[in-house]
Amino acid sequence: MPDRSRLRLVVLGVLVVSLVATLLGRLWYLQVLNAPQLREAAQNQQIHDIVTPAPRGEILDDTGKPFVDNKPSLVVSVNRTALDRLGEDTKTAVLHRLARQLGKPYPLLDHETTPCAYTKVPTSHGTKVVAAPVGAPWYAGPFLPCNNGLAYQPVIVSELKPTLAAAKKALQIKERPEDYPGVTVDLTAVRHYPRPEGAFASSMLGYIQLIGPKQLAALPADERDVFQNAQVGVTGLEAQYENYLRGTPGVKQVSVDHLGAVTGTVKDTAPVAGDNIVTNIDAGTQAALEGQLKDAITAARHSGFTGDYAAGVVLNARTGGVVAMASEPTYPPNTFVPSVKARTYKQLGDALGSPLVDKAFGSASPPGSTFKLVSSAGLMHDGTLAPGGYSDCPTNYRDRQNFEGENGLGVIPLRTAIIVSCDTFFFALADQDWKRDQALINQHKPPREGVQNMTRAFGIAAPGGPGIDLPAAEVAPGHIADRKNTKLNWEAHKKDYCAGAARRPKGSYIQQIDAFNCKYGYQFFPGDQMNEDIGQGTVTVSPLELAVAYAAIANGGTVFKPRIAKAIVSATGKVVKRIKAPVRGHLPLTKYEIGYLRDALYGVTTSRNPLGTAVSTFAGFPMSRVLVGGKTGTAELSNTDENGCWFASIGGPAGDKPQFVTVIEVNKADQGAVSAAPYVRNMWDKLYGFRDNKALFPNGVPPKKLPKVRIVEAGPPRHHGGHHAGGANPDATSTQKAKPTVAASSSSPSALGPPPILPARIERRAAVP
Amino acid sequence: MTDWSESTRSAPISLRRETLRERAMDRDSFLRQLDWVLVAAVVVLCVLGCALVWAAAKPQGLGSTYLKKDILNIAIGSSLAVLAALVDYRTLRAYTPVLYAASLFGLLVVLTPLGSTINGAHSWITLPAGFEVQPSEFAKIAVVLGIAMLLAEKREGRSDPTRNDILLCFALSAAPVLLILAQPDVGSVMVFVITIFGMLALSGIPGRWVGGMLGLAVVGAFFVVHAHLLHQYQLARFQALTHNTSVAAQTFKFNQQQAGIAIGNGGWFGQGLGSGTQTNGQFVPEQQTDFIFSVAGEELGLLGAALVVVLSGVVLWRALRIARYAQDQFGMLVAVGIVCWFAFQTFENIGMNLGIMPITGLPLPFVSYGGTSMFASMIAIGLLQNVKVRSNR
Repeated sequence: MPDRSRLRLVVLGVLVVSLVATLLGRLWYLQVLNAPQLREAAQNQQIHDIVTPAPRGEILDDTGKPFVDNKPSLVVSVNRTALDRLGEDTKTAVLHRLARQLGKPYPLLDHETTPCAYTKVPTSHGTKVVAAPVGAPWYAGPFLPCNNGLAYQPVIVSELKPTLAAAKKALQIKERPEDYPGVTVDLTAVRHYPRPEGAFASSMLGYIQLIGPKQLAALPADERDVFQNAQVGVTGLEAQYENYLRGTPGVKQVSVDHLGAVTGTVKDTAPVAGDNIVTNIDAGTQAALEGQLKDAITAARHSGFTGDYAAGVVLNARTGGVVAMASEPTYPPNTFVPSVKARTYKQLGDALGSPLVDKAFGSASPPGSTFKLVSSAGLMHDGTLAPGGYSDCPTNYRDRQNFEGENGLGVIPLRTAIIVSCDTFFFALADQDWKRDQALINQHKPPREGVQNMTRAFGIAAPGGPGIDLPAAEVAPGHIADRKNTKLNWEAHKKDYCAGAARRPKGSYIQQIDAFNCKYGYQFFPGDQMNEDIGQGTVTVSPLELAVAYAAIANGGTVFKPRIAKAIVSATGKVVKRIKAPVRGHLPLTKYEIGYLRDALYGVTTSRNPLGTAVSTFAGFPMSRVLVGGKTGTAELSNTDENGCWFASIGGPAGDKPQFVTVIEVNKADQGAVSAAPYVRNMWDKLYGFRDNKALFPNGVPPKKLPKVRIVEAGPPRHHGGHHAGGANPDATSTQKAKPTVAASSSSPSALGPPPILPARIERRAAVP
Repeated sequence: MTDWSESTRSAPISLRRETLRERAMDRDSFLRQLDWVLVAAVVVLCVLGCALVWAAAKPQGLGSTYLKKDILNIAIGSSLAVLAALVDYRTLRAYTPVLYAASLFGLLVVLTPLGSTINGAHSWITLPAGFEVQPSEFAKIAVVLGIAMLLAEKREGRSDPTRNDILLCFALSAAPVLLILAQPDVGSVMVFVITIFGMLALSGIPGRWVGGMLGLAVVGAFFVVHAHLLHQYQLARFQALTHNTSVAAQTFKFNQQQAGIAIGNGGWFGQGLGSGTQTNGQFVPEQQTDFIFSVAGEELGLLGAALVVVLSGVVLWRALRIARYAQDQFGMLVAVGIVCWFAFQTFENIGMNLGIMPITGLPLPFVSYGGTSMFASMIAIGLLQNVKVRSNR
């Protein structure tokens, strides 16, 4: 063999050795170095989770009547994988047909059924975010352009409303499976609002919607897949108690082949129904309050006032439990299920009284003279006025008139000043108060600001708001100006004031205010203190906060963080947790001072000389059986003859501590005594069964015992195919906190329709060609 | 004088017939001359192949069907190998032109309606009883023998091949290459090009020719890509290795990724024969043929997959060794041709399973399911043994 050939043979040998080495090296890389990732990828595509949502817990009133429960409803889902296998033409035709049948635009339907990771999808009302599983990059192949992972999971395309029309549409689809390949009609549980006793309680209850990307991201990684198509609480109690209401979805892990056909079951955990929330709300009282608010608005409007809204609270003064809380106008509780229509949303947003904001806890306004209870306490406590002390009630104090220009009464005790609601009495004391504080400041000492501090002690404008069990974003705390926050406020808004002063037409009302604020806004004037002490100007309060404050006077000084929920009860009837209203603190008042103020409130409704401002309203009320005291409030609204009308009251069996606090605010109406007080009185009549009413509580006390809870069977109403989270703890669902399995209690009547139909359905889906 | 010779002659030398065993064990016997390491490597590869083909076809419910067919293919292939090993050199040379003509005829028939298309290539002739023949596989043998004959005959007792010899080689290989290109089966064409190049280079042609051919290959590849002579899907197979996002490239990428997942899923020891989840879910396409290696990766793990690689390496090593010790130019060139053919095909097939080579329809010798491929590979082993046996005489 020539040398040249021999040499080249060696080269060939070296080449062969290096090729073999390359293959072995790459093999090492894939099977050892990269194995964990590849194994995860394999799991991702071989194991699918079929999620059976747990029946969501119900929200019940104090006697067990459901405000929110679940109703079986037919929903239409599209299985994109099955559709894709039919070919482009058939797929488009089916979607077009389906769009017509559902009355939905085709592009929307198309987009909805092709969900990409967190896509914004155009809807009839702007955009909505569609959640899709993260990860699974191996699937970004050409077969399913957007998301193979979700394609396995049928997408719900019909409205989740248990209406007859929706059911008809769905049934028509179910009857013609040949026209709708890849489309399934299933029974699912939809949130339903039985409206016990006719009560709405809409904004308090809140609503649920498809989980958003932020909520999804907040979940632990191993739960994201399970909940990616979940309906979760967005507002109100639904959001506040989401973790209890949600339950634990059942997860069936199935192994699938390359066509998505199920080849076996890896693991199967049954869903555990969510816990029920038993509330302190009494459906009857809630309905009564809503009725009174409606009547108050109607009456105000009849008398020529705007009467844009009314809000009210009935609080259990002894426990801090919210017995009823309402705001009118409102909206039906099912407005947002499963999503609000664009037109409806706009109408609600534009409507008089903006129904979307709950005025009982979601907004605050000047409380008028109802606030004198708080300022009296403050003036007594900081020494401006001796407990039960006397002061002058002139017709005018400096340039300020008494309310409605009433005549002065001379030197009177605090009790009388509250009973007749003498403004000048408080002006004079506020002026003294301010001067004393100013003197302290001049001596480089901190001002006492007794009224401001007392206000916060009452739970009004307190740090963290009223502390009720509702999402913080929906709760508006009140405000009370003091020297410090006035300055801070001015520093924050000075620019705007000065800009406004320069921009607005010279001499106009707002320009003058802006110009003044631009220059002097950092100062807390004597006039500010005077306004505050009679509940006007820079003090705002929500009806809920006022109710908490009055409850503190009623119960002897305990300031509660009010609670709507009373207990968490599992689906099997086991009490998971009893909820008591936490105590924020105790009023820094003596027993005598509290008793004195309480007595003054009784004077407002009972004293003939001097004549209480609400005596005529409570004419004929059997005070000897149920003693009710209160305070009228009329907050003057600038630039109008209309007032913010308030009545706050405490009451209970005569000779006993008061049981309830009832507060009603009617905005843009006549006066507190005329526009609000009568409806508060009606509430007392209803609570205790006077004037032909049946008592709302049999013995005048809200039930202490928990009601029996309807036991819900966890029949899986619907299945989502989910994407198995690679690397996720496969035992995630079973290792969660031990809850009683619901299967054990399934002997009771099913609330969700037929028993599980899981296996058959999967088989059928898998068999789609 | 003592007749020593008589006594010597009368020594007890047995004149009985040699036993079969003794004949086999004889230093000069055919069996002793065989390269048993090569045989062993091929046998183990075939056994592994049977197991893997069974495992790959099992999820479709065709495990035993494919296993039986594979065993039949191996049996037929082994007979052909024995035939190729036993046939006389001169006979082989004499029949090479016939073989060459026959394979050209086969390649022509494939292009007629008698041929059938599998996976985009019109490469098969369907025979009765469910058999299919892929003439390009036989053409590989014909071309290896043809070129070896051409270059060796001119060489006997003379110096390096002349320019005319080289051009004749090109002409000889052009016909089958063009016919296969028409199918189109780019993978097989690559096997031919590399085999012919290797044989020419090893025949001792001047270095400038080797350099010139390499340069031509680079320029040609550039031209082919930029003149859009490749079909989109052919290009896509290469693009799949890069980060190209075209739909076709993604399709091939998907296949390759599925193979990658399967192999990675195997880890050190594999999931056990017949228990690969990726395999049983049929996520990897063409798994009993082109992607058979991914079954080894998933079910037999790194140990099993590396064994396949190493055994293929052993086959190449033994073939190189046979080329090294070949007694004549013809034998050396045949062995070199087979080395180039097997080396490229093995590297390409395993490489595409491992995601480092583009996807082609080339089977893994002795392991992939496929009758014609098995026959051709077995014949090649027979030829190697033929060269080996002859070089010892």
